Amino acid sequence: MSDPVLLTLEGVRRVHGSGAREVVALDGVDLTVRLGELVAVMGPSGSGKSTLLNVAGGLDTPTSGTVTIAGDVLSEMDAKGRAALRRKRIGYVFQDFNLIPALTAAENVSLPRELDGVPARRARTEAKAALAEVGLEKQARRFPDELSGGQQQRVAIARALVGPRRLVLADEPTGALDSVTGEAVMRVLRARVDAGAAGLLVTHEPRFAAWADRTVFLRDGTVVDSTGTDEPEALLADSSTGT
Amino acid sequence: MSVKHGLLALLAEEPMGVYRLRKEFEARTGGSWPVNIGQVYSTMQRLERDGLVAKASQQDEDVELYEPTESGRAEAAAWWRTPVARGEVGRDELVIKLALAVSAVGVDVRDIVQAQRSETMRAMRDFTRLKSQVPAPGEPISSPELAWSLVLDHHTFTAEAEVRWLDHIEASVARAVLTQSRTETTDRDEAEVPR
Repeated sequence: MSDPVLLTLEGVRRVHGSGAREVVALDGVDLTVRLGELVAVMGPSGSGKSTLLNVAGGLDTPTSGTVTIAGDVLSEMDAKGRAALRRKRIGYVFQDFNLIPALTAAENVSLPRELDGVPARRARTEAKAALAEVGLEKQARRFPDELSGGQQQRVAIARALVGPRRLVLADEPTGALDSVTGEAVMRVLRARVDAGAAGLLVTHEPRFAAWADRTVFLRDGTVVDSTGTDEPEALLADSSTGT
Repeated sequence: MSVKHGLLALLAEEPMGVYRLRKEFEARTGGSWPVNIGQVYSTMQRLERDGLVAKASQQDEDVELYEPTESGRAEAAAWWRTPVARGEVGRDELVIKLALAVSAVGVDVRDIVQAQRSETMRAMRDFTRLKSQVPAPGEPISSPELAWSLVLDHHTFTAEAEVRWLDHIEASVARAVLTQSRTETTDRDEAEVPR
């Protein structure tokens, strides 16, 4: 595994409230996501899945522990620096697509680049390329309400990985889709990750988590298990206890 | 079931010899049910004995072709119409293991649930890897590929149902612990036994 690490969480702890009302959302989570890797996070409600995703994306700050994105340690940056890092490095995909209705597919995808100060022409070129990657070059001029749910989610994936962005954080991306459309979206996400991105996927649907390289199970804010074929240590542990 | 009915249904489309029947059967079931040529041959003999197939009136030069009789066609049609009965439910090792785990001493149900969930997810990932090799929904696909894809979907959905059941066990057990423990129940039951 020599692919570069895009996301690292080390000893991440996140406590909400204090005293008697203290709730430990995450308790010592270690996690690494490499380029070309899609990692699924599963766990019951309240296990810390959403907090994990928010902390990984710099939307929430851990009480202790470190989050490193593409070599930058979030806690060593100021708010402005973190915001810039988020815009440049990280894309989000949500259950309800979160596209801007008044903008075309291409404009939705180019917007984060333009906000980042990239000249409009270049941002458009990048957006077109990102849409082509998800098979939607012909729909570039359509508005979100002229697209199916599956197509809208593919636009969201294109937006998440436009330009230099390589880390996609997906929160129940198939939640609003039927099983066949959900599968199509997972295929696109998988293909984009294989083509050179890293993904962290929160889902409660095992069928879609199965598209990931690894599944991390959370329970009460702690990683209780991790399955995957690319973890020699875990495999060794299995074979030594499996007799 | 019924390799027998599957073969009969194929013969109802056109007369075939055993080699072609075997090939058709495997291709059109997505390879989910491998059959050997001996099996196909002996099935034909039994179907012939039972009056459901006969040697075809139009024969090939090299191979013997079979076709369904009238009652064979009726049997195949009835097979299509009749829903498949559920197998005996709850008779697998996992069900027994987890049922016992709920009350077993020195066993944490959550650990068993998690170990099983990891194992089932691993199997699902294997099915999904195979699935990623067939064309995506909406892309051009051959009928054997579609059959294979749907067979993989079956395995995936079945595994998913198991994972959901495991999730449900975990939640149910967690909630049950909040109200009353197993030991208290047992003590009370024993106390009620007259001495």
